[in-house]
Amino acid sequence: MPSTEAPTRLKQTITGLALALLPVILFILALLLGRYPIGPLDVGRSLLSPIFPQLGADIPDVARRLVLRVRLPRALAALLIGASYGGTGAAFQAIFKNPLVDSNILGVTSGAGFGAALALLLLQSQWQVQIFAFAFGLLAVGLAFFGSRLYKSSPLLVLTLMGILVGSLFGSLTALLKYMADPLDTLPAITFWLLGSLSAVTWSNLPTLVIITLLGLAFLWLIRWRLNVLSLGDAEARALGINPTRAKLWIIIASTLMTAAAVSVSGVIGWIGLVIPHAGRLLVGPNHKRLMPASILLGAAFLLLIDNIARTLLPGEIPLGVLTGLVGVPVLAFLLRHGRTG
Amino acid sequence: MQLQANHLHFAYLPEKTVLDDISLLIDPGETLYILGRNGSGKTTLLSCLAGLLEPASGEVLLDGASLQSFDPAERARRVGLIPQMHTPAFGYTVNEMVMMGRAPYLGWLGSPNHEDQSIVDEALAQLGLFELRDRPYTEISGGEQQLVLIARGLAQKCQLLLMDEPTAHLDLSNQHRILEIVSQLADRGLSFAISSHSPNNALSYADRVLLLASGKVTAYGNPMETLTEPMLSAIYGIRTEVLTNGDGKPLAVISQRPMALEPTALRDPQSPLGQIFARSQQEPQLILVTGLSGVGKTTWCTQLISLARKAGLSVNGLLSPSIFKDGRKVGIEVVDLHSSDHRQLASLREDETASMQTPRWVFDSDAMAWANQTLSDSGKADLTVIDELGPLEFAQSKGLTAGLVKLDSGDYRVAAVVIRSALLPQALSRWPNAIIVNGSAKNLS
Repeated sequence: MPSTEAPTRLKQTITGLALALLPVILFILALLLGRYPIGPLDVGRSLLSPIFPQLGADIPDVARRLVLRVRLPRALAALLIGASYGGTGAAFQAIFKNPLVDSNILGVTSGAGFGAALALLLLQSQWQVQIFAFAFGLLAVGLAFFGSRLYKSSPLLVLTLMGILVGSLFGSLTALLKYMADPLDTLPAITFWLLGSLSAVTWSNLPTLVIITLLGLAFLWLIRWRLNVLSLGDAEARALGINPTRAKLWIIIASTLMTAAAVSVSGVIGWIGLVIPHAGRLLVGPNHKRLMPASILLGAAFLLLIDNIARTLLPGEIPLGVLTGLVGVPVLAFLLRHGRTG
Repeated sequence: MQLQANHLHFAYLPEKTVLDDISLLIDPGETLYILGRNGSGKTTLLSCLAGLLEPASGEVLLDGASLQSFDPAERARRVGLIPQMHTPAFGYTVNEMVMMGRAPYLGWLGSPNHEDQSIVDEALAQLGLFELRDRPYTEISGGEQQLVLIARGLAQKCQLLLMDEPTAHLDLSNQHRILEIVSQLADRGLSFAISSHSPNNALSYADRVLLLASGKVTAYGNPMETLTEPMLSAIYGIRTEVLTNGDGKPLAVISQRPMALEPTALRDPQSPLGQIFARSQQEPQLILVTGLSGVGKTTWCTQLISLARKAGLSVNGLLSPSIFKDGRKVGIEVVDLHSSDHRQLASLREDETASMQTPRWVFDSDAMAWANQTLSDSGKADLTVIDELGPLEFAQSKGLTAGLVKLDSGDYRVAAVVIRSALLPQALSRWPNAIIVNGSAKNLS
């Protein structure tokens, strides 16, 4: 073996370790940071207090509750949702052979946005908003998918077009709901939801998110090498013994479930699925065997970072959709200028 | 491994047949070249042979077993396909590209392991690509990319590799490099089916050649038998010449340009035109006078006619000079060269509201009938001129159909027929021995 092998290996290992540590550090930071100052030791003892109640004895009740009921579920949600956006973005870019798409291309976010607005207008309870957002996200992609089935030629192009059409349809419907909404009460709620936030996350939001996201990430992890073959196009994938239609259908189903689960908890957060795989390619190259884990870890780290900023930068909360755009746009511009993204 | 295709039919749309009754055989270690014009069905045929498309009828057999009976991975372990060159969306390294050849051996959820890597290393080393293995595929040269795809076929361990125009866009040196490697791999027992636009490469490297025209097999067999002047002229629609060495072994195929003949050369019996007239004593000679609209094809014929008459040769047929008014072409006349009678054949459509689909010219059906009658009544003269045969005649069997009948039946000695360049392929497949002449007024002294 030539001598270039060893340094490359070493570099890969270091990059991998750094990528794995980044979300962990930011997760710990998310527990430490906040308006209400809590020392690291108290945070640690609060975390352990459900198992060892005596450790939490001398900590103020407010601090313990803040760490366990507010900061911990919120950080977990950020971790999972970021990972989900990063992973599904990388998968969609591969199967659409296009580095400029993410899992929203088929209209899931617009559908979820409409569902959430509808629930906020008619029902107003937190869990109903989550269910409506999830269901309408799936409905939008379902419409796009079955709509594209009406046409025989170039299915991928028609599917993309249908996704855009369905997306703008639900966008218009959401605008209609906003127009009808009470401007003092419901309208701000809808607007704030559409900008994305993790401020309302509690433990009750998490079970579906955890189950769907972990199963989905496991699936994307397992098929990650096949994404390379799928990204060459249908004819080549078929010549290499893969059924691209079936594989893509499963990836679309998994990614849509994951995205709908994420949006239904956090509201609309853009850019992560689009930008993170590019950053991943810059660090580990385009091979999805490494790119998929890198995108998942970077996505998790990015949303934790954004949420930490959103919570602490100003006295009030900054919507995540605002920050991801503000941070995401310059990052994407920089990568397009300097990145060797293929 | 032997691949056999029996009576393949394929159509993307029911009414448009792309492949029509194709049968072929590829033995182990054999190289089949598939030649044909753009759109003749080469890529579709390769896709059917690779099992990517299912033929409407007919079958593809691998060692006697139907290709459709294999699942996609089993099939990909036997038959590999290298599609036409394209740039992937992502810049995978050469190593990663070749690794994708291992896909048919890995399960749905599998990733390549050390064993796969050593197979890839071997394939890379075999084609001299080992040093390139960490370079992005998108950044290496076209010749190297083609080699990488061949290496992927080797990593795939298939026994038949189908290549769609592997030498398109490659310089002479890279073409040579690729084809020599293909030939050496064929010596080791790998079979190839290669679609190509180069009859010369087929002459040098093919064991068998299949000539495809509009989805039908025009010729199939060894290169010596198939790559002949009439066959190549018929499928490519141009005059070709096969250059041979002293023993008659074909060396190269060249395309001939239209001859630049001056009508005045008729006076010189040694000139090409004089020789055409001399040969017309034995068998009919057909001259297709061609060129873009307005280059002077009719003028060329007029010159030839007047010189032929001066030389005492008999002339018949039809000439259709334009009628000009205020410097604008407003009509077409038809002149019987035997009697000098003439009629107006067509006039410009003056109706401003006419849509783009309607023809610009309104033909007089009585004049057309008269012209056809004149042509079919005319006997065998020394020179027959037909001006002109166009899309109406070739595509719709309307217009001067008597002209087609006369030429098909060989009822002439020398015929000079005006035809636009775009129709030459159709004319040549109808009359493969026709002589093509550049009817440009530039050639007139």
